[in-house]
Amino acid sequence: MRGVTGALAGPVRRTLPWRALGAAGTLGLLLAGAPALTGAEPTDGQTLVLLRGIALTGALGLAFLLDDPARHLTAPVPTRRPARQALRVALVAPPAALWWTAVLLLTPSGTRPPVGDVTLEAAVICALALAGATVAVRLTDEPRPGPSVAAALLLAAVLAPLLAPESWALFVPPGDERWAAAHDRWAVLLCAALVVAAVGAAEPLRRGRLR
Amino acid sequence: MTPTVSASGLSLRHGGTRALDDVSLRLSAGVTGLLGPNGAGKTTLLRVLATAVPADRGSFTVLGHDPGTSRGRQEVRRRLGYLPQTPGFHPDFTAFEFVDYVAILKELTDRAARHREVRRVLDEVGLGGVRGKRIRKLSGGMRQRVALAAALVGDPGFLVLDEPTVGLDPEQRMRFRELIAQAGEGRTVLLSTHQTEDVAMLCHRVVVLAGGTVRFDGTPAELTARAAGRVWSSTERDPGAKAGWRTGLGTFRNVGDPPAGADLLEPTLEDGYLLTLDGAGTEVAA
Repeated sequence: MRGVTGALAGPVRRTLPWRALGAAGTLGLLLAGAPALTGAEPTDGQTLVLLRGIALTGALGLAFLLDDPARHLTAPVPTRRPARQALRVALVAPPAALWWTAVLLLTPSGTRPPVGDVTLEAAVICALALAGATVAVRLTDEPRPGPSVAAALLLAAVLAPLLAPESWALFVPPGDERWAAAHDRWAVLLCAALVVAAVGAAEPLRRGRLR
Repeated sequence: MTPTVSASGLSLRHGGTRALDDVSLRLSAGVTGLLGPNGAGKTTLLRVLATAVPADRGSFTVLGHDPGTSRGRQEVRRRLGYLPQTPGFHPDFTAFEFVDYVAILKELTDRAARHREVRRVLDEVGLGGVRGKRIRKLSGGMRQRVALAAALVGDPGFLVLDEPTVGLDPEQRMRFRELIAQAGEGRTVLLSTHQTEDVAMLCHRVVVLAGGTVRFDGTPAELTARAAGRVWSSTERDPGAKAGWRTGLGTFRNVGDPPAGADLLEPTLEDGYLLTLDGAGTEVAA
């Protein structure tokens, strides 16, 4: 298996949706650098909203990660789908981490929210994008589910702050007494998204409700 | 002869539609044609046998391995070549790079041996001279041959081909027939097609699928024989015919139950196919 993974890394790197990832990354960096470029001095809350927006931008790019025009031809190969999808994630993870670090460094340090907590939020949004993509691959025959996944993620991002119950508040401002509790919930969401991604990646032997 | 593929009671629903309904068949070495109208369940059956999608019910084995278990599915996939209806490519790859990529996915990890195998299959499909060319610059027929090369890499014992000649011009189709016939030497090939001529020319056996069920399973000669005495010529379209059309000679070729004293014609495989579909309650296009 290790031999296959090593040999696959090169070709799979070339099959990644670099255009979508690059566009999302560039937009994210531009947004992060906007305050410095325009001389604006955002408040703590504005910087947090900006970072959440940038995380969403990055996640929208990741929604395309499992797009594969050759999907039908390569479906019944002995290299398992979870391994192939994990390789795609592994290949994109280092540049994504570098990108997020650059985003954090570009935002005004004086108003930057706690880095660990906001990184957790970004990780959840990205994990949700990946979970959506794995489920879309599992449930549909679409070789390029990215646009649908991105649209669903965008809709969820718009609706979540409006529909989330007060007792399960996620989008709290910095300094709010609910901040720590909210980030416990973000951690729960991260676990849930990773579980969904893992279930979505698996290839069922029998058709059940999740096909 | 031990069958390469043995399927029993395969059923699968898509939403409210029964795509496969209790399909049982046995395939052995040589080319078997799978005929059927659009929506008959051909692609679904091929995808199930290729382990791309699991069935709701039923079971099958390929070369003695049961894909109903994780290990068995791996073993089946190691012995399988699959050319889907719409293969899809990474257009920036060259033909060589793409087939090499599929070869890695098929666990051919030794680089030198793999490259030899990739060159072999590209030569086999007649693309040795353009293996360094990007797929985006290849014609539709050449791309289809790249997909066939990808299916052939690793010398699979069971080859599943889903309408490989669709969209090809007559010359390319002829070339593809040669390739499929060659591929069928010593291995089991299941060929889904709308082209009855492909079946007549290539296949030692034919399965007709309609409404998700097997309507016929036999030799092309047996399918043709179903139309014996049921094809006739007339100067007007016979209203009693199941299907009838004016030929280039100006007379009508009718298929169905001929009137007494009709001028009977030699049936073709297509006539037998049309009558088989009609007997199954499927609409026959006149």
